[in-house]
Amino acid sequence: MSPTPPARRRLPSLRTPVRVPGRRTGLRSPREELAEATAHGQVYLRRLQRAQFGLALLALVAFGAVFGVLPIALYLLPTLDRHQLVGIPLSLWILVVPMLPVFVAIGWLYARRADALDDAFRDLVER
Amino acid sequence: MIALLAVGAVTLGTLGLGTWGVRFARTTSDLLVASRAVTPWWNAAAISGEYLSAASFLGIAGLEMQIGASALWQSLGFTAGYLALLLFVAAPLRRYGSYTIPDFAEARLNSPAIRLLAAAIVLVIGGFYLVPQLKGAGLALNVVIGSPYWVGVAVVAVIVAINVAIGGMRGITYVQAFQFWLKLFAIAVPIIVLLIHFGGLPERAALFGDAYPHAGRTGLTISPGPAQRAQFPTAGTFRVGDRTVHVAAGATVTLPANVAIHIPPDGIVPVAHGTTPLRGHAWARPVGGTGQGAPLLVYSLLVATFLGTMGLPHVLVRFYTNPDGHAARRTTVRVLGLLSLFYLFPALYGAFGRALAPQLYTTGQTDDVVLVLPHVAWPGAGGTILTAVTCAGAFAAFLSTSSGLLVSLAGTLSHDVWPRVRPRQAVPSGVASRRRHFRTAAAGAMVIPALIALVARQVDISILVGWAFAIAASTFCPMFLLGIWWTRLTARGAAAGMIVGMLLATSAIFVGLALGEPTNGALALLQQPAIASVPVAFLTMVAVSLTDRHRVKDADAQMLALHAPEGLGLRLADGEAEGALI
Repeated sequence: MSPTPPARRRLPSLRTPVRVPGRRTGLRSPREELAEATAHGQVYLRRLQRAQFGLALLALVAFGAVFGVLPIALYLLPTLDRHQLVGIPLSLWILVVPMLPVFVAIGWLYARRADALDDAFRDLVER
Repeated sequence: MIALLAVGAVTLGTLGLGTWGVRFARTTSDLLVASRAVTPWWNAAAISGEYLSAASFLGIAGLEMQIGASALWQSLGFTAGYLALLLFVAAPLRRYGSYTIPDFAEARLNSPAIRLLAAAIVLVIGGFYLVPQLKGAGLALNVVIGSPYWVGVAVVAVIVAINVAIGGMRGITYVQAFQFWLKLFAIAVPIIVLLIHFGGLPERAALFGDAYPHAGRTGLTISPGPAQRAQFPTAGTFRVGDRTVHVAAGATVTLPANVAIHIPPDGIVPVAHGTTPLRGHAWARPVGGTGQGAPLLVYSLLVATFLGTMGLPHVLVRFYTNPDGHAARRTTVRVLGLLSLFYLFPALYGAFGRALAPQLYTTGQTDDVVLVLPHVAWPGAGGTILTAVTCAGAFAAFLSTSSGLLVSLAGTLSHDVWPRVRPRQAVPSGVASRRRHFRTAAAGAMVIPALIALVARQVDISILVGWAFAIAASTFCPMFLLGIWWTRLTARGAAAGMIVGMLLATSAIFVGLALGEPTNGALALLQQPAIASVPVAFLTMVAVSLTDRHRVKDADAQMLALHAPEGLGLRLADGEAEGALI
């Protein structure tokens, strides 16, 4: 924080004005639905939010399957401590070296999918 | 001498760049204007630069020396925390547009009261996190110029407070990014040179075999400071002056103050009172080798670090230099990569320290290992130069992290707390008065952490930082996760959950301290309570929210602001956002 409380950043509003007041009839685009926060609009947004949340949970499960089981696996398999690779116990290799690339890989795949979900939503709304 | 020059250069360079750069980034708004030119790589380096603190630079290696390879879970947890941030927080929070945690809490939950609570927790977490930075500074200056511990604490506290008060270091992406590369260089190069010099890890018996740490082929001279007790894990001897003392296995001796003792060649090295002597194979076990490596404690630490990173006050504000949610995600992935690179190295310092600098076991100052290792392991010019490099890197770590923390703390004090405590003077009139408040707050926020650092000399840096993570994971993590993904969260629910999590975590830590830091059995959980306090905080938050009749009225608009992608014209423009959300 700075001593001067910053103004919220003005988000660029790319297209036509958002609100379409008083419009009751005719076909409405998803954009208008959302803007007016109608029941349908809520459905669109909730669908995006669910999809994003599901994706995040999936990534979390993948992370847990690789990393979350590691402490208990190393605990139950002391043989990994006895076998050495280049003079260093296998358990230490497993702990230090491959886990970090795994984090990056999960993060990268997740970010790609999450951006794709956002893009799909964008297509839906701009249609 | 050369170490002093290196430290001085880093300090002056950082302060100079900050003060000079601040002309171009006078306020946070300017920072945001500049942000459009900042690429995700620069941003990621800046986040990593601010994040890598004394705990990463000194603490992990020190703890590894002391309790063994189970300390390395900490480096994995510190990195994995950014994965949690990426999955659940980064993009929505960027889209939402609050700059600080109290801002987010108030806007999302429509409650000014919760802002004060969040601000109080920010102060506690930031304070806990500042203490180990100052402790590291005290140790480092002691190594560099041999000054007493308190001098280093005081010097860095004053430098950082002045620096923040005059506006240096604030949100300057390029300075922080530079700090990251400096720290990576300072931790990687010395240990790689040592690896080449020794042709691999030395003294494997003490590292992975049956041996306790022992003196090298030429013996070992140890100069303890004050008189202290040390234990011989097996029978051994040492020489004081002309007198040779024989010690039975397991016996404890009191080493005289300020007198060097000499351990004969290949003799066993005594271990400071309070440290458990470990044989190589127990030391090298990542889980279950020691009391602190029990699986439950490892998981508790991982919960704290995985979920606590998102609640650190100085990390969040950096995400607003991303132009949008996509960029926030891309930046976070790069942060994962950069941190992964950095955390390969501290593990090597711990191992080298055990093999080549066992005198740190006798003095109990294992947190010094990164600083002193090069010149202990490799006497001569080469080691001296490398020690200068690690000392300079350590100073970069203290300066960047504690400046970032102090900016958050001072901002919270002057912006969130002051107006509530003194509502009459709530609206500071004019920039000058606001800046004066901020400066006073910056000086004030440094006092308590500095005092705690003076008395916390014996507590390991990593332990201190672990507490900050445990508290953040038990308070802000549930508030963020539920606030971002669950419409039913209410202000009361969030407040109840944060208070319960906070009380549980802090009382466990203080009871643990009062019991003398138990390291074995279930009591050791008091030191790292996250595995219990985080679920309780979550459950409290959910239960109280579900029974609360005061729902957040505009929850749907809030979700739109959090989750709708930018560029569609759906998101509320500024004026409307102010009206609708606050």
